[in-house]
Amino acid sequence: METTKRKFSIFNMGMYAILIVASCLVLIPALWMVSTSLKSNEEVMISPPKWIPDHPTFESFTRIWKDYPFLDYFLNSVFIVVASTAITIAFAALAGYGASRFKFRGKGTFLSFLLVTQMFPSIMLLIPFYKVLKTFGLIDTHWGLIVVYIAFALPMCTWMMLGFFQGIPKELDEAAMIDGCSQMRTFVQIILPLSLPGIAATAIYSFLMGWNEYMFAFILVTTETMKTLPVGIGQLNGFYRVVWNDMMAASIISSLPLIVLFLFMQKYFISSLTAGAVKQ
Amino acid sequence: MLSSKSGMRGLWFIMPAVVTLLLLITYPLIYGAYISFFDTNLITKWNFVGLKHYVNIFSNTEFVERILLTLHYTFWVVVGHFVIGTGLALILNMKLKGITVFRVILILPWLFPEVVVGLLWKWLFNPLYGLFNAVLMKVGLIDDPVSWLGDEKTAFAAVIVVSIWKGFPMVMMLLLAGLQSIPEDIYEAARIDGCTRSAAFRYVTLPALMPVMVVTLILDTVWWFKHFTMIWILTQGGPGNATNVVSIDIFKQAFEFFNFGKASAMAILVFFVCWLMGYGYRRLFGNGDD
Repeated sequence: METTKRKFSIFNMGMYAILIVASCLVLIPALWMVSTSLKSNEEVMISPPKWIPDHPTFESFTRIWKDYPFLDYFLNSVFIVVASTAITIAFAALAGYGASRFKFRGKGTFLSFLLVTQMFPSIMLLIPFYKVLKTFGLIDTHWGLIVVYIAFALPMCTWMMLGFFQGIPKELDEAAMIDGCSQMRTFVQIILPLSLPGIAATAIYSFLMGWNEYMFAFILVTTETMKTLPVGIGQLNGFYRVVWNDMMAASIISSLPLIVLFLFMQKYFISSLTAGAVKQ
Repeated sequence: MLSSKSGMRGLWFIMPAVVTLLLLITYPLIYGAYISFFDTNLITKWNFVGLKHYVNIFSNTEFVERILLTLHYTFWVVVGHFVIGTGLALILNMKLKGITVFRVILILPWLFPEVVVGLLWKWLFNPLYGLFNAVLMKVGLIDDPVSWLGDEKTAFAAVIVVSIWKGFPMVMMLLLAGLQSIPEDIYEAARIDGCTRSAAFRYVTLPALMPVMVVTLILDTVWWFKHFTMIWILTQGGPGNATNVVSIDIFKQAFEFFNFGKASAMAILVFFVCWLMGYGYRRLFGNGDD
């Protein structure tokens, strides 16, 4: 008994050791980002680099708002991502519910199509989108990108919502309908409130996708004040002198919304991911 | 199902999604295929050339080399994701104390935008002021600063390391979710039947996790096969062609050289490669119930 117990705790310590090493490999680059952002222009260019700056300063964090149209980037990203996520979630919830509750012709095709869309290289869509948006004068507009992000997120989101609805017993619908609820009312008043965790997880996915997207925003928007965060930050990279501290400060600001959002909703996220992935 | 005439009503529910996908994905794809038969700048010049671009692509080994390079890249990235992701998912599923903290930390790379990850690692790899060289020199592994992204030999490996760092949390989360959906009583039954820890893993955990693993494997492979952003930020495909994966190549073909027709043809071929890989996995793991 004694030896098995001891073996067990050694085993546990080994597990903790792995977790700590892995966490360090994740945290060191992240902390390096923070450290760089707090350095002055002179201190960034010191070799060998120091972990703790001698004269920590927030000047990078104030400079990004003053010297670059960072506020524009930020607001553009927020508007585009919130709008595209809202529309995506509405469509994905309807479709996921429909596919989980009904049998109809072409359902199998529809579900496989959702998976097949993941196989297309997104660049395959970029060229036609570029041409079509140009024709309709939607280059350089918010709506151009909103439309694109809906197209990107909708398949996976429908998939996730479907998995989630499958976990809600159909008897609930039946009970509601026997009590005289219409199909739509059953969905809106009974099922949707129960699906909030699934909706939260799906929304995180869609939000992340739009917030991170780079290639399309890079091509479809050319006016400085219409650009999104990833493109805005990415082009700091192209200037002849790379200002690393400003870039890292901008990187932190643009990552924070996702991290905060995730911390609030992480409980829901992992369990809902399964739903979509497992019960295909 | 709810009622016999529910078929039509089901269609109404999926209609918005179907219409959106037809308009925003199917139509552009067909249009893209159409463009691949033209020599065009998308505005004034529209010369029908038939299969010329496809013949052209296969007339030399360049495209095949890009595909092989991309497969090579994808292989190491996916292996990295699965080794690290599976290991960590198993540990995170063990109900050790304080596990939530680790779970949140380990998901972080997934939450950073790809552009941010690309820039951060470009800074870490900076030959003069980067942390990576400083640490390696202090430990004594290298004597002089190495230009990790500027050297053909190291750039490829560097890009793989960054891609593994960014992508393992997704695999970890999907597998963790799969592990958590295995009911506790199966393990209990196995224990009562005298199963050891490793036997339980072999005969309970693995088979139950298999479906999630296959889906994750397919998605991870096609996602990273098509990857663009971080490589674009880190190396733009260089130095030389060391990291010129197929997405980067197509992008340059279209928006640097304005060969939209050829770029579209290449994109269509990449789709077939992705589709074949997905099909291959399904055959391989016998998950033919789709």
